[in-house]
Amino acid sequence: MDTLLIANRGEIARRVIRTARTLGIRTIAVFTEADAGALHVREADHAVQLPGYLDMASIIAAATDNSTPSSTGVHPGYGFLSENAAFARAVEEAGLAWVGPQPEVIDAMGRKDRARAIAEAAGVPVVPAYTLEDDPATFAYPVLVKAAAGGGGKGMRVVRSAADLQAAQEAAAREAAKAFGDDTLLLEKYVERGRHIEVQVFGDSHGNVVHLFERDCSTQRRHQKVLEEAPAPTLTDAQRRDITDAAVALAQHAGYTGAGTVEFLLDEATGEAYFLEMNTRLQVEHPVTEEVIRVNGERADLVELQLRISAGEPLGFTQDDVTTEGHAIEARVYAEDAWGGFLPQAGHAAYVSWPDWNGARVDHALESGQEVTTGFDPMLGKVIAVGADREQARQRLVHALEDTLVLGLTTNTGFLRELVASDAFRDAAIDTAWLDRTTLEPPATDAAAILAALAESSFDLPATSTPLSHDGWRDGGAAAPLRPVLADTPALRLLGPARVETAGGAAVTWGEELREPLAPGVEVVHAAVDGEWLYGVVRRDRRGAEVVVAGQRTLFARHTADRDHTAHAGDGSVLAPMPGTVLAVRVEAGQQVTKGDVLGVLEAMKMELSLTAPFDGTVTEVACATGAQVALGAVLFTVDGAESPA
Amino acid sequence: MTTSPTLRDLAAELRERLAAVRAGGAGGSESARAKHTERGKLLVRERVDRLLDPGSPFLELSPLAGDGVYDFDAASAGIVAGLGRVSGRLCVIIANDATVKGGTYYPMTVKKHLRAQTISLQNRLPAIALVDSGGGFLPMQDEIFPDREHFGRIFFNQANASGQGIPQLAAVMGSCTAGGAYIPAMSDETVIVRNQGTIFLGGPPLVKAATGEVVTAEELGGGDVHARTSGVADHLAEDDAHALDILREIVATCPERPPVPWTTVPVEEPLLAPETLYDVVPTDSRQPYDVREVIRRIVDGSRMQEFKKLYGETLVCAFAHIHGHPVGIVANNGILFSESALKGAHFIELCNQRRIPLLFLQNITGFMVGKEYENRGIARDGAKLVTAVACSTVPKFTVVIGGSFGAGNYGMCGRAYDPRFLWMWPNARISVMGGEQAASVLATVKRDGIEAKGDTWTSEQEEAFKDPIRAMYDEQGSAYYSTARLWDDGVIDPVDTRRVLGIALEAAAHAPVEAPSYGVFRM
Repeated sequence: MDTLLIANRGEIARRVIRTARTLGIRTIAVFTEADAGALHVREADHAVQLPGYLDMASIIAAATDNSTPSSTGVHPGYGFLSENAAFARAVEEAGLAWVGPQPEVIDAMGRKDRARAIAEAAGVPVVPAYTLEDDPATFAYPVLVKAAAGGGGKGMRVVRSAADLQAAQEAAAREAAKAFGDDTLLLEKYVERGRHIEVQVFGDSHGNVVHLFERDCSTQRRHQKVLEEAPAPTLTDAQRRDITDAAVALAQHAGYTGAGTVEFLLDEATGEAYFLEMNTRLQVEHPVTEEVIRVNGERADLVELQLRISAGEPLGFTQDDVTTEGHAIEARVYAEDAWGGFLPQAGHAAYVSWPDWNGARVDHALESGQEVTTGFDPMLGKVIAVGADREQARQRLVHALEDTLVLGLTTNTGFLRELVASDAFRDAAIDTAWLDRTTLEPPATDAAAILAALAESSFDLPATSTPLSHDGWRDGGAAAPLRPVLADTPALRLLGPARVETAGGAAVTWGEELREPLAPGVEVVHAAVDGEWLYGVVRRDRRGAEVVVAGQRTLFARHTADRDHTAHAGDGSVLAPMPGTVLAVRVEAGQQVTKGDVLGVLEAMKMELSLTAPFDGTVTEVACATGAQVALGAVLFTVDGAESPA
Repeated sequence: MTTSPTLRDLAAELRERLAAVRAGGAGGSESARAKHTERGKLLVRERVDRLLDPGSPFLELSPLAGDGVYDFDAASAGIVAGLGRVSGRLCVIIANDATVKGGTYYPMTVKKHLRAQTISLQNRLPAIALVDSGGGFLPMQDEIFPDREHFGRIFFNQANASGQGIPQLAAVMGSCTAGGAYIPAMSDETVIVRNQGTIFLGGPPLVKAATGEVVTAEELGGGDVHARTSGVADHLAEDDAHALDILREIVATCPERPPVPWTTVPVEEPLLAPETLYDVVPTDSRQPYDVREVIRRIVDGSRMQEFKKLYGETLVCAFAHIHGHPVGIVANNGILFSESALKGAHFIELCNQRRIPLLFLQNITGFMVGKEYENRGIARDGAKLVTAVACSTVPKFTVVIGGSFGAGNYGMCGRAYDPRFLWMWPNARISVMGGEQAASVLATVKRDGIEAKGDTWTSEQEEAFKDPIRAMYDEQGSAYYSTARLWDDGVIDPVDTRRVLGIALEAAAHAPVEAPSYGVFRM
């Protein structure tokens, strides 16, 4: 293989390009209009614009038009077309090398019912299941109803009694039909407290299958992984052996080639692990495996392994050559408001900085100045920390997330930092439903408020003083506190060089030398608050200040004079704007109206004018009748905006 | 003999007096302040602080005005005025204190408002009024209404200042009744606070009395009425803070400051700490000291370039810089003789020719008296100094650092000579002559009269006659008596002198300097 087309975008495209470059393989990136100039486009040797990332024909043409097909591979990344058997076939039919398992295996594993059958045939334990024909009264509840096609939590329902089954089935079928075009349902035992354990496997075209140990991805929110780690912290040696053996057995049974992941649900109550599904692609969380796996004592590059297998090479090592060393944890940085219902966020990433130190690995595709839209997956990057043991890795991840700066839009970084720092995660006590039943408290914003106030205040210190220096000077008295023009920030009083006091009485050590500019309008601000040193990154513009402290971004809006008066105008009289004839009266006295409701219609100057309620309230007076001639400025209706008694 | 208080003691007393009028955010009683804030209104000093740029200095004008003048408590004369930065521009702020007599104008209130306007006019600084006033104080109408320097002058000044391109802005944050209604109406741009600010020529009681119409204040002249219907106000604010935000944005649309009319240099702090002023200035006016000790603690780098150092040595004339601005300093170092007066006149002419602002440091008991001096024409030489001072066109600043007596006050740019600003140190004394001299002069006149009639006047009787005169001069000569009556722009702590002058120089640098034209120098 001398050329590789990466049918993907973002961090995974960059990840694949990196390995290809190391191996001396020329890369072709694809991109859509929204991604023109993106990092993966710039890093590839060649880039081709497509109408869309799912446009198979264009992708194949991009590969065949720009290379010799017989020595060209197509790497699908994850998501998009990575588990699309039709695409895999089309790639192969075009004479290109498909970096992934055989299309028929993708097909088989893509359906939960077929995957389950393969697992059962391979002797892999599966979750006890029922058929739709079984008597619901005999089921051991709770039971999970789920769509046979698809995933991502769509078409899934937890049913706790036989009485609720019918309704849940109908709802799940509707959802499944809508999402996947297939309303086939499965019924199985629902594990209340489970851990998500998955095994990385590789098979080559020579019949060899190995596993690269497991990952634990139990920290999930609504079935979306949030944190992933390797090795799994709670597994016993026996459990690990059983689960990895099962995964290899499954892959062998399926004749699997390439990289795959076999997912299991570990029932915490019984310690039993059940097969969930097999993912026929490279996983988002593959870096944690890369960080801990040693093949003959050396690190392994999973993308390199994929490419070698795709080129027909044998694995070149056996299971006995595979060991693990240390611990790795990955956190997924998303453009979402984790403290506000996890709503997707978009915006201009005004300043971006990722941790850059030994022990922290970052796979990302976000740089300063980039526009983040809601048009693609909201994942901005992955921060992976590595340590000699889990606790060291965890602490490094806390620090790495604190060093992750995304200014300009809201991300879940602060949430991830709190999560990784939590006792529950430290104790490996988080099961797959923990985040769905636990509400984390956002970190306090006091420090951010002080840093914003300090940056905003720009005290002029005595060395550079002018008579109009901003030090709050008052003749014959103590300096006035300095009140930043930012909402929710404390007033500060300059006590002397480098000494400031907040309105709340906190003593702050601070000075110009404690500001480090990072970019125009962006700076690191250090301060000691009541003796404790802290720092944050502050970005200020005319709309306000945003401060990132320990990964958490907090916004402080600048006061402006711009306010909307119309929402609660004082006078509820609706006057005739011109002399005219009342054509219609649409309300009666005592009637509740909402702002904008048409109260009546006036004809004047050959125009019909709607007279609308100025705000929500009660009509207290109807001072006109249909057909009446009214004078300019006559009161036609009165609306009382006072809240009516409930 | 009792030890007289040191300058440090006097400064501490000043700070206590200032803290007392500033405590609580407004000058009214605790109940008046509580009533004010319960309505959701900010206290006057909070309003000023919020209007200013964060951290802006504020040079308050005559904070102790009105003190002891009336039989009621008139903290700061019911109006807070001063200079500070708003949206980067140095402005004069004039804010009514509604907790003091409802913000009404009694004579010192009027005088202080006019004084602040004068500072705005002379230095071409935008004037911002935060209005919360019941109008004129009716029991004293004869002292506030009819005369030239009375209430009506406020609007005359607004019209003329606006005519000169000096922004006139107002926020109506409470009552704005009767004559007061013209403050927003005469402003270039006006903000009103909804459900709080009212503007009307006659309030509801007057309307009822005049026409029988019963109307609420809000209906008569509230924010919605003026912002939506009458057009008297241009901006409707939801509350005080919003009104101040709007004002800040309005100021941001005003022109930036013009170029400084003289050449400035980089600032250097004095080599001698200002705090050491307390140690070098004796409070006993009879005890001599070298005024250069004061100058060195005020000027950049403690450096000065003296003019005619060896001639007329009782008047120190020197070029120096304060906060980078050039100044020509005229400082008393003893009694004024003909030579010192001539030297002063010469130096003032130099400063006018070179467009260098003048700083007078007053500590003067007067011109030398006696046959020899009169016969040599000291009156003629004193007149030259007075002429030079009076006809100067460069900005003048006066700080009374000791005595200010007799014609010395004139030659050294007293209030009548229109310095841009005049401040007193707490040890300063001001009167036509010293109390002892006045008592002696009056006693001599009286004795002459008694003795002409052939009667006798014992020395006990004479002392009894002189005591009340001394006491009166003692009281009326104090800096606090002066500042209460707005004879000055405030009593300042000596250590603040440099900063105060710095702000004043910044202010003065906003106005161009005209060419001087002198009257006849009698030769």
